[in-house]
Amino acid sequence: MKTRLIAFAGFASLLMAGTAYSEPVNITFWHMEQPPHRVQRMQELLDEFNKAHPDIMVKQEPQSWGEVYAKAPAAFAAGTGPDLLFGIPDFTTVIKGIDAVVPVDDLAKEMESKHGFVPATIAPYQYDGHTWAIPAYNMAISMWYRNSEFKAAGIEVPKTWSEWKAAAEKLSVDGKYGVGLPANKQLYTDQTVYALMVNSGAQDIYNEDGSISFDKPETVSAFETYGALQKLSPPDSTSWTWGEAEACFASATCGTILQFSVINTYETQAEADPADLGVAPVPHADDMTESGTISYSNAIMLTTKDEAKQAAAKTFLAWLLEPANYGRFLTMEPGLFLPVTNDGAEAESFWSDPVVTKYKSQVETMIANSKNGKLFGFTTGKVFPSIGAISGQNVIAESLQKMVVDGDSAADAVKYGQQKMSEIAGK
Amino acid sequence: MRTGIAMSNPRLAFLFVAPALAFLAAVLGWPLVQAIILSFQNVGVIGTAGSWVGFDNHVSVLGGLGFWNAFGRSAIWVVGNAAVQTALALGVALILNQKFPGVRIARTWIILTWIVPTVVVVIIWRWLLSTSGGMVNPLLIQAGVIDRPVGFFATREGSMASLIMINSWRWFPFTALMMLAGLTRIPSDLYEAARIDGASAIKRFTRITWPLLQPTLLVLGIVGTLLSFNVFDVIWLLTAGGPSQATQTLPVLIYETAFKGYRLSEAATVSVLTSLLLMGFALLATRAMTASEDAR
Repeated sequence: MKTRLIAFAGFASLLMAGTAYSEPVNITFWHMEQPPHRVQRMQELLDEFNKAHPDIMVKQEPQSWGEVYAKAPAAFAAGTGPDLLFGIPDFTTVIKGIDAVVPVDDLAKEMESKHGFVPATIAPYQYDGHTWAIPAYNMAISMWYRNSEFKAAGIEVPKTWSEWKAAAEKLSVDGKYGVGLPANKQLYTDQTVYALMVNSGAQDIYNEDGSISFDKPETVSAFETYGALQKLSPPDSTSWTWGEAEACFASATCGTILQFSVINTYETQAEADPADLGVAPVPHADDMTESGTISYSNAIMLTTKDEAKQAAAKTFLAWLLEPANYGRFLTMEPGLFLPVTNDGAEAESFWSDPVVTKYKSQVETMIANSKNGKLFGFTTGKVFPSIGAISGQNVIAESLQKMVVDGDSAADAVKYGQQKMSEIAGK
Repeated sequence: MRTGIAMSNPRLAFLFVAPALAFLAAVLGWPLVQAIILSFQNVGVIGTAGSWVGFDNHVSVLGGLGFWNAFGRSAIWVVGNAAVQTALALGVALILNQKFPGVRIARTWIILTWIVPTVVVVIIWRWLLSTSGGMVNPLLIQAGVIDRPVGFFATREGSMASLIMINSWRWFPFTALMMLAGLTRIPSDLYEAARIDGASAIKRFTRITWPLLQPTLLVLGIVGTLLSFNVFDVIWLLTAGGPSQATQTLPVLIYETAFKGYRLSEAATVSVLTSLLLMGFALLATRAMTASEDAR
């Protein structure tokens, strides 16, 4: 009997030891927030989460947007993909296309009832009967300017395209450019062109049946206006990405630009005078009454089939959206990342950030603009797989270049875009 | 006449080169085989399954304008780079072949642009050529060359020319050092004899330097063409093939097709066809080089 007791005690202690030293569930998290200060803030949050959840270990592996479209599918094919993956709506369609993403319906429902999502941020991830990602932060294009320059030129903040063009012409003096709009075959140009398309009623690029509806008078009108404004932009704007536009604004060479945010650049490389920094909705067509914009809701996909990892990953996502943590997540890049939840938009952890506090009125305007955000390919409630390739190949920007670089008319450039998109959709 | 181990014990010689061959087969041969297989399928996104489509991709690529237009741009890119780099490198090599104080330092410093990482080169030139604070536009305006800032990547022609200049700026030191090595192999007594015979500097260059530099130039021509043809990073980072596809060379087309258009098999087809073109060129150039050596 004594021997049995000793054996039982020994077995029990072994089991306990095994429990005490059991490995935590490891979660690999790929995100594309590469700048060191963002990685550092993310690590601070992960350290805090991992400490509070000893049975889970979330590890970040920063990637670049330039590579992830090729790298993630290859990693999933090789069985080395992450468990959580940052994404934007069109990238999500690519990952869904290779069957690597798991629906997060239950978690989305729970987070919706607890925090309340801004509808424009979750809608691009809800199709085919499921929610495919949990929104993390929002970005929306606004028009940026300097109050002092407008005042000196006697300009009111433009609300319509005609007013914007007139303002840009007035600001184009002494080697300065009234507006800085890109015409590169790149995502930034897709975004700025679409920001005008939204404002002329050309936001839908698909019909209900999946055919392309790019070629319409509203798109042509947006292209015509963009072309006219682009002539007032610096001559090298055909090779611009986001950085060059911000630099042009920071150096006061450009009077107005369309950008997600210039706060960081303005704070670190320009005057850093919040009273002078102006932000307004993107002007709309003269026959429209309300401004809209393009918004990119960045979200996190669950990309593991392992149930234990799924549960651990969901615990992490729920923790991240808690207002006490969420504000610090958003302010990894203060003044750029906007809240996707209603309580996140009021979180003390967000508004207490020094930069957000300093530029409070600008951030409030950005948040207001983001609520009218739309994204090409995700406006009709139906999502078609070809949007990944249409976005990836920057067809909107390529069509614009037909007009800006090759001298085609707006109508011909739009016709080219329709043809190219239809080809892609047909493949 | 062949001598040594290769003739006396071919098996042992093969054993020596076998590891290198195995390595090359693993890192080059296997991907090439995979690319060939992919080119006969219809795979879209990497990692997804595809079915066999025979020569459909090849017919489609060779019958479309995209491949041939990109090939044409690649040809312009290669010829442009060859011309600019040869001119710059030859001039610098001739200077560095002279004896003057600091020549050793100059020979070392000349490789600076070559060792700078591509991304740094791109950032430097983007900034220099920018119309918002860049240095080149104000300098050209001050010099009276232009009267207002110009966009170096704004037009089709300007974009390709700017890229060629930037890439040549980066690579000409390598070419210059190769040429310098070739120049140092030319016996100095030939120049002395020519001087005694009263040959001018131009005559010495055209009758001695240029002909005796031909083997080096031929090798550089082959290697440089292959290297230039495959340049992707500088083009992608500076123009991404734009504006309006003006700088979309074959490597850019392959990348865009595979990773932007998600047509992996089509991209593999372009890759295989490009490889065949380059192999054909290398074969012809090597034969020409051998014939040239035999003639000497």
